[in-house]
Amino acid sequence: MRNTFAVAAKEMRSFFYSGAGVLVFFFFYVMAGIFFSLSVLSYARLSMESLKEGYQAVEGLGLTRFVFSGLFLNLGAVLLFLAPVMTMRSLAEERKLQTLELLYTYPLSDFDIVFGKFLGLVWIFELLFLPTAGYLWILHSLGGVFDWGPILTAYLGFWLLGGAFLSLGLFISSLTENQVVSAVVTFAVLLILWMLEWISDAVGGSAAGFIRALSPFAHYRDFTLGILDLSHAAYFVLFHFFFLFLTMRSVETRHWKS
Amino acid sequence: MPESAPHGSADGDLAPVLARLEDVSKNFGSRRVLKGISFELRKGEILGFLGPNGAGKTTAMRILTGYFPPSQGRVWIGEQDLFREPQKLKRRIGYLPESVTLYGEMRVCEFVEFAAQVKGLAGIKKRREVEEKLTRCGLWDVKHRLIGRLSKGFRQRIGIAQALIGDPEILVLDEPSNGLDPKQIMEIRGLIRELAQDRTLILSSHILPEVSALCDRVLIINKGSVIASGTADELESGLRERHELVITLGPPADKAGVFRLLENVPGLERISIETAREGLVTVVVGIEKGRDVRAELSRLFVTQNLPLLEMRSGRLSLEEIFMKLVLEENEDASQREDA
Repeated sequence: MRNTFAVAAKEMRSFFYSGAGVLVFFFFYVMAGIFFSLSVLSYARLSMESLKEGYQAVEGLGLTRFVFSGLFLNLGAVLLFLAPVMTMRSLAEERKLQTLELLYTYPLSDFDIVFGKFLGLVWIFELLFLPTAGYLWILHSLGGVFDWGPILTAYLGFWLLGGAFLSLGLFISSLTENQVVSAVVTFAVLLILWMLEWISDAVGGSAAGFIRALSPFAHYRDFTLGILDLSHAAYFVLFHFFFLFLTMRSVETRHWKS
Repeated sequence: MPESAPHGSADGDLAPVLARLEDVSKNFGSRRVLKGISFELRKGEILGFLGPNGAGKTTAMRILTGYFPPSQGRVWIGEQDLFREPQKLKRRIGYLPESVTLYGEMRVCEFVEFAAQVKGLAGIKKRREVEEKLTRCGLWDVKHRLIGRLSKGFRQRIGIAQALIGDPEILVLDEPSNGLDPKQIMEIRGLIRELAQDRTLILSSHILPEVSALCDRVLIINKGSVIASGTADELESGLRERHELVITLGPPADKAGVFRLLENVPGLERISIETAREGLVTVVVGIEKGRDVRAELSRLFVTQNLPLLEMRSGRLSLEEIFMKLVLEENEDASQREDA
């Protein structure tokens, strides 16, 4: 396990040393900041209006639901762009620099390498989104009252969604030695996954349910609404397993491919 | 199968075998890159891997370092099968891959520390090991520099430093001086020679003087097979069909006269006047196998009143041996294909 952590720590360090790492953090906080401010402002405007009209409270206009559900749904879409940038280097760059050859000859198992890389990416992702808890603190200090349940499930859902995207990106990064190819293909696949919900709406019938069940966003949405459904969690766990397994197989192809 | 049996493995009191490749083959799809090579590595020796590009040197090294398993055959590290317990046995091998670029964005000490970590070192032991290897490879002064900013020579030292971490018994260096300038090559060779004092080394190269300068034993690989192995001397004596004599004569010898004189001596196959300067004439003559004409020649020179300054047998350089073997092998192969 210590070996896995060593690989993860190196992955994280390399990410922050690269320019892409800084860009990912910058872009994420610009987007998160815009989404947060906009939803807080429109929440404030709506509640002012409803007070003027004489209503005490509007149904469905809870602070948690209005600001945070929306924010996390939008951040899910931001991940479409950021996950490919986070994973593009991971295995592709190591292959290009031939440092992968070193890793394979260190006393590491393929699992140590793949899982260590994945873990490093997840750590980066956690560092990326955990500071958003600062928004809670801002609203709290302004006298906001939260429903903590949905906030916790939203974080859990976001964590699972991010991990799923990273496992997919890691797999695609293992297929090429070109970072750009890795990023573009990952982005394209994520985009298709994003569109699955629309496709299912367009298709209709019995196939629609199946296509919908494949969409990570359909499973993610309930998390942001405070619904903790075991089938959604199972979907994400399977997603992780599937792509980490494929990555392991991909790394093994060196045995028979020159 | 190897076409010539390894020399000098008959007597019993040799150093213990640290690693052994046993009839190792490697296929990539339908392409056979290694065709059943076998060799052993004995404690304390420096084994040179020689072969033209694409001969299978790197593939053999990758198998020995556990990068991928062979398609057939086995690799023994001591008494154990490398691919049965790779995690444990890989600790006993340090590897410098060919033209490895390393992590440019990391600092020297960070990278070497990482190598120490994945090799299972921690705490004070890790720190001491990193310090020792950085010092040993002459990297102490640049330990906080970014790897990407350092010269190729330094990067190659970092590659060697990471291979040395954990003090593996066997050090595998793939083309260690590739892409370095002459000064850096000298430095790396010096380092390798130093390391060889208390370690077992296997190094590949296509630069022949390097192998003859550094290695105790040479293994020549061509087209995936071992075509010869042994010390440089052994390889040479096995190959010498024809003796060569190098003769230096002093004044009043002149080129044309010496040539005419030697033309009439029976048993000389090839006469070439190599240099003639400052009144000295140097002649290289080929002599039929099993014939000794030295006494006859010296008498001849005396009767002609030519001062004989030097007469020695010429030796084939490793380069000539290599070219000969590889060329013969290729000719044989093409003849077989024709037939």
